[in-house]
Amino acid sequence: MATKTSNQTVLPAFNYEKELERWTAFANAIMGPELGANHTPRKQVWAKNKATLWHYAPAEKKYDIPVFMIYSLFNRPSILDFAPGSSVMEGLVNNGYDVYLLDWGIAGYEDKDMTIEDYIADYIPKAVKRALRHSRTEEVSVIGYCLGGTFAAMYAAIAEEPIRNLIVATVPIDFSVSVLPDKWEQELKESGYNADRLIEVFGVIPPAYVEAMFRSVTAPIYNSPYVTLLTRANDERFVEKWKRMNKWNSGHVPLTGGAFRQMTTDFFKENKLVKGEFTIHGQKVDLGKITANLLVVSSKNDTLIPEGQSLPLMELVSSEDKTYLSVEAGHVSLAMTGKLNGILEDWLGEHSK
Amino acid sequence: MAGSKTYDPYEAWKNLMINWEKQANDVIHFWTNSRDYIKWSQGATDLQLRYLEMFQRNQQLLLTQLQLPTKKDLANVAKLSIQTEEKLDALEEQLWNVEDAIESTNKQVGSLTEVSREAVKVIKQLKTEQKRDKKELETIDEIHFELLEIKRELAEMNSLKEEIASLKAQLAGSKQDKEKELAALTK
Repeated sequence: MATKTSNQTVLPAFNYEKELERWTAFANAIMGPELGANHTPRKQVWAKNKATLWHYAPAEKKYDIPVFMIYSLFNRPSILDFAPGSSVMEGLVNNGYDVYLLDWGIAGYEDKDMTIEDYIADYIPKAVKRALRHSRTEEVSVIGYCLGGTFAAMYAAIAEEPIRNLIVATVPIDFSVSVLPDKWEQELKESGYNADRLIEVFGVIPPAYVEAMFRSVTAPIYNSPYVTLLTRANDERFVEKWKRMNKWNSGHVPLTGGAFRQMTTDFFKENKLVKGEFTIHGQKVDLGKITANLLVVSSKNDTLIPEGQSLPLMELVSSEDKTYLSVEAGHVSLAMTGKLNGILEDWLGEHSK
Repeated sequence: MAGSKTYDPYEAWKNLMINWEKQANDVIHFWTNSRDYIKWSQGATDLQLRYLEMFQRNQQLLLTQLQLPTKKDLANVAKLSIQTEEKLDALEEQLWNVEDAIESTNKQVGSLTEVSREAVKVIKQLKTEQKRDKKELETIDEIHFELLEIKRELAEMNSLKEEIASLKAQLAGSKQDKEKELAALTK
């Protein structure tokens, strides 16, 4: 029986069955079996060490130029194939592209010395060559997400393989723009902060540390997803989406010591990429050598990579055809909600003819 | 009920928690955004690392005494397998070159076969034409022979004509003689 208050708000009566359902669904979502990821059909084309090159065949091939995707080192790329109906991979495949994804895998202790240079020079060109050979084409469109975008831009600057289009989303390029609290930033950049001892002890930075690193910057206390889950636990579709998101969110991967050292020193501390001082196995990375058609996508509500980190890329490249898009989304929701799909459908479709 | 709305206690609790979380995080960032916190944090990390280093040293000593491989030994073995993978990749890429070379040779051989097939076709055509020419030549020979026959027959006819003319002349002569004899007799 509902009670009506004086200001026209109806207080619902306690519904025992509904509450039981809510709490059962809440408990199942947290403790129950995990949902499967990577639902779009794919086949392995090449593998080296922990990295795998996956091929997603198009539903009906419309474009000759294949899409080559690079994801970040911090988390699994399954966010790009989040759920049926809101998957970047599914969208590209349905639009008629051959899609190749370079999955970095999970680094082991033996990879502790692998640097960003090694990832770019020893893996990306080989994978792109294999994608070109597999698809029997001469050109490729490269898409990079988050740190994968930084890798894609650096690769495009030194690539011998012909790149027609370069698309980077939520990409950190200019590390002088920071989301760190100012004293932390000052300490990192101006004092003699040295990660060598940490790297020496751990070899590969454990996933818990990687997660803690991001949490400390964005939200040290992070209970809101559980609060939202309990509030909407009677909504089956929401619970399914929540489970997928929770799985991905807690799926941080170890970061190699070599990559962590370069990230803290060469990127955060010295901002070498923008200054044109970053080298890959002795070869200088000059972003001005990028001539491919360029699309940069930023998220307005991104608490991790603010627009100021991505925008300078527009001025640094030599591409004649370049577009910058600022989208109403967050760091992850850009891929997860299908917004990136719509952007790719329009821009990539026009530039792949 | 028009104009009234249902109160959802969970929704109110959610809003309260989200606001609390945001404010708590702001407070944490405010408190930790100081040199003192950073120094304390570095000190804590150093202490933790010192203990971990000690543990690692002891574990390595123990494993060496027990004649067991350490994590580093296993990593070195894994690195060897990665090197092997790299060599296989390099070999695969070289095989691509061989494959490409074979493919282009096959294409060249294919075009040569096409050319020789054309040549065989032309030779066959020439042979057919030669046969036809031979037949025509034989026909011409026959015609030539027939012409010779006709010529010979014409020559024979000419000689016959001459014989007839001489017989005619003889006949005329004998006729004149006979007329002269008759005239002489009548006289």
